[in-house]
Amino acid sequence: MISFFEALYINPLLLSAVIAGLAASVVSGIIGSYVVVKRIVFISGSISHSVLSGIGFCLWLERAKGVTWISPLFGALAAAIISALFIGWIHLHYRQREDSVIAALWSVGMAIGILFISQTPGFNVELTNFLIGNILWVTPVDLYVLFGLDLFILVTVFCLHKRFLAICFDEEQAQLQGVPVNSLYLLLLVLTAVSIVLLIQVVGIILVMTMLTIPAAIANLFTKSLSSMMAIAVALSCLFCLGGMLTSYHLDWPAGATIALVAGLVYVAFLPFKR
Amino acid sequence: MEKPAVILENVFFSYQNTPVLKDVTFQIASGEFIGIIGPNGGGKTTLLKIIMGFLKPASGKIEILGHPASSMEAGVAYVPQSMRFDRQFPISVLELVLSGRLAHLPWHGQYSLEDKRAAQKSLESLGIAHLQHQAFGMLSGGQAQRALIARALVSNPKLLLLDEPTASVDSQAEADIYALLNQLRGKMTILMVTHDLAAAVDQVQRLICVQGSVISILPSEVCEHFALGLYHTPLQQTKHTKLPVINFP
Repeated sequence: MISFFEALYINPLLLSAVIAGLAASVVSGIIGSYVVVKRIVFISGSISHSVLSGIGFCLWLERAKGVTWISPLFGALAAAIISALFIGWIHLHYRQREDSVIAALWSVGMAIGILFISQTPGFNVELTNFLIGNILWVTPVDLYVLFGLDLFILVTVFCLHKRFLAICFDEEQAQLQGVPVNSLYLLLLVLTAVSIVLLIQVVGIILVMTMLTIPAAIANLFTKSLSSMMAIAVALSCLFCLGGMLTSYHLDWPAGATIALVAGLVYVAFLPFKR
Repeated sequence: MEKPAVILENVFFSYQNTPVLKDVTFQIASGEFIGIIGPNGGGKTTLLKIIMGFLKPASGKIEILGHPASSMEAGVAYVPQSMRFDRQFPISVLELVLSGRLAHLPWHGQYSLEDKRAAQKSLESLGIAHLQHQAFGMLSGGQAQRALIARALVSNPKLLLLDEPTASVDSQAEADIYALLNQLRGKMTILMVTHDLAAAVDQVQRLICVQGSVISILPSEVCEHFALGLYHTPLQQTKHTKLPVINFP
């Protein structure tokens, strides 16, 4: 068996997978840092699982109704953004029951997805890929979408980082300074939703929270500013992707699960190092 | 004659069906240093939030620096209690103080040289310039409170609101904070919520007692009012103070 790095030269699928992993790592580190410090991990979990409704709906349209132009990826993106805005609206207006509504959206989103899939003919390989991830399944079009969304998130965060920092640390102070706190909170949730869809390509719906939160949570142990936390989280996320893919290549394990496992083990190892 | 900095007229506020503030009417002149006292649950924090425009009263008129509270423009700064913040949050002292200049931030989100100079000046005036690269979560209670005051002052406010600024600090930090507030006296309007009646009486020009409704008294009238059982609690004499400290129920 040739080594992982030799395989990268001769296997374009593997190279695309590594590039996709690194591209997703950028958003995972940046948006994951906001998710961790703003303590919206549970909200992110709900968004990631409700994505299944969009995927199921698009697969059903494609297979049962013959709508060929639609893609499960766009269904995932639409479902994630709608869920994020809905949860954001609940957070702003019905904070007392927020956790119950988020939990309900979590399971209702999955239920809708399962119902559509049950009505969709054939064996749905895409569905399995979305659930547990298959980074080798990434197409050139997916890579362009990944780069485009990466660029969008980087530019947005560059311009709004100080304001996001303010709303994550102290919403009242930000509001007194005339910052549109509610709009920025909704935008942060939408960026989280987009990042989740990108990461689902790599590790799947079930494991996406690992990549969104673990690199940032480890970085939080060693930093005193949010921007350095993001840089460390991006670096860690890249390492987890490369380490996970290398391990999965040699052991013939599923790539997404191996990446998540590597990240989880490193987090457990770092837990005793409290700041 | 200069317009009052704060005007509240017949303000009513309820949380769901529980009335918290009833028919609150008072005015605060520009440059006054006011202490807000009252028992827990009496409505002190609610009053501050109404002044900041975070809560909307059921009825009544509110005018802050000549504007309705809900459409407030820059000019109000708030110093919360340092212990309410997440100590694991990765923010440096300099970043914290700079966040007081958010109103000046351009669309591209990068602070100007003027913002950075103002932050430096504010840090120096609070004596914590040497801590600017420290994590906020690593500061002591007194240092953290000073950092929050520096954040408030960096915006050059006309109205400064403080929520128990000496609640979690040692006696030296408490003395430093009161010395600073004394320097600011007359330069801006100051409203300070406090449980430390003795310190309040020493420092402020006027006291506003909040207990559902509001009574405005002069520091010299305090003993008499408390002797009348305003809070329905006994007075307790502390060792180092001339005036009583009230433990509110």
